[in-house]
Amino acid sequence: MTAVEWNDGAPIYRQLKERVVAMMLDGVLRPGDALPSVRQVAAEYQLNPITVSRAYQELADDQLVEKRRGLGMYVTEGATARLMASERERFLREEWPMVLERIQRLGLDPKELLDPKSKWGQA
Amino acid sequence: MNTEIRNGSPVVVARGLRKAYKNKLALDDTRFEVPLGRIVGLIGPNGAGKTTALKAILGLVPFEGDLKVLGKDPRTQRDELMNDICFIADVAVLPRWMKVKEAIAFVAGVHPRFDEAKCRRFLEGTQLKPDLRVREMSKGMIVQLHLALVMAIDARLLVLDEPTLGLDILYRKQFYQRLLEDYFDEEKTILVTTHQVEEIEHILTDVMFIRDGKIMLDAPMDTLGERYTEVLVNADRVEAARALKPVDERALPFGKTVMLFDGADAARLGELGETRTPGLADLFVATMKGTYA
Repeated sequence: MTAVEWNDGAPIYRQLKERVVAMMLDGVLRPGDALPSVRQVAAEYQLNPITVSRAYQELADDQLVEKRRGLGMYVTEGATARLMASERERFLREEWPMVLERIQRLGLDPKELLDPKSKWGQA
Repeated sequence: MNTEIRNGSPVVVARGLRKAYKNKLALDDTRFEVPLGRIVGLIGPNGAGKTTALKAILGLVPFEGDLKVLGKDPRTQRDELMNDICFIADVAVLPRWMKVKEAIAFVAGVHPRFDEAKCRRFLEGTQLKPDLRVREMSKGMIVQLHLALVMAIDARLLVLDEPTLGLDILYRKQFYQRLLEDYFDEEKTILVTTHQVEEIEHILTDVMFIRDGKIMLDAPMDTLGERYTEVLVNADRVEAARALKPVDERALPFGKTVMLFDGADAARLGELGETRTPGLADLFVATMKGTYA
């Protein structure tokens, strides 16, 4: 059984949703993969099924999963692309301006940082 | 979906319940409702009236007031009601000489909605072999058998009174896991009392706190986070914080004070110190303060 720590900040259904999103971004859940049933998740994580349904419903509202009648929930074809797009957008809007500002303040050269031949350019 | 279920006709409606033992009121003008398709926790300190409330619902004690369970009065329609209700008490009563297979045959004989095959399926993979006697079982195994018997009955209301008392953590976890995986659905309702608040807090959809026979809190679990906030108040903000009327306050070492607020403005609380959503156990302790004083 997986040990799960819920934190006190956000509602549980949102934390569960974030967990599924993280699994999609990490490639653990891929388009076309089935999600475990509400019942399984509820039993495994000791959550009431209404909480689990709510998390799944939000994922469906975001078009990251879809219900296939009689079969359950599946990751949509476009889920990874959709998540990547929104994560990129968030990075460029929130994180990049701060990174850029720091690079400039420290007098670093972005070209050198990204040059594959320099020791900083290796990802 | 939440509201839809809550709006369905309630499984239990209690109004003005009153029950006095010798010199103590166990139910004191008690009123509550248990909606359909929910898992409701009835939580209170020892002697608060929990078991009396459950016994009233099951028609096991006389009381005054208005009580409808699945539309029936447990005082006068108990026999009909018992087809739709199941019950597990902390004092699990199974005769010590009885074998597993005899227990199954017995329930099959007395309960019209018992599914024998289902019960055997629940026991597959456990140590509860057909010829094992109750006297040879641990407390955990007895509860396991009890649960298998009860879950195989297609009842609409399941009442659990301290079902996991005295069980180790493995059995406790397994108990609720089975219940969620093999039993509960939106047509069923579970009413459970327990002291192990932290363990079931995420399983519950609704919670009721009872004290001295009165319901002190009755709310869906998902509204508690919006309603209650705990603030770690800095020493210099204590007076400002008190002005917002906390429902509870306790001092910590190193000059900080933890205050609990009910329905206060989140932005204003944020100015007082670090905030967090209290757990059910924190709310319970704050609500029951002074109970044993």
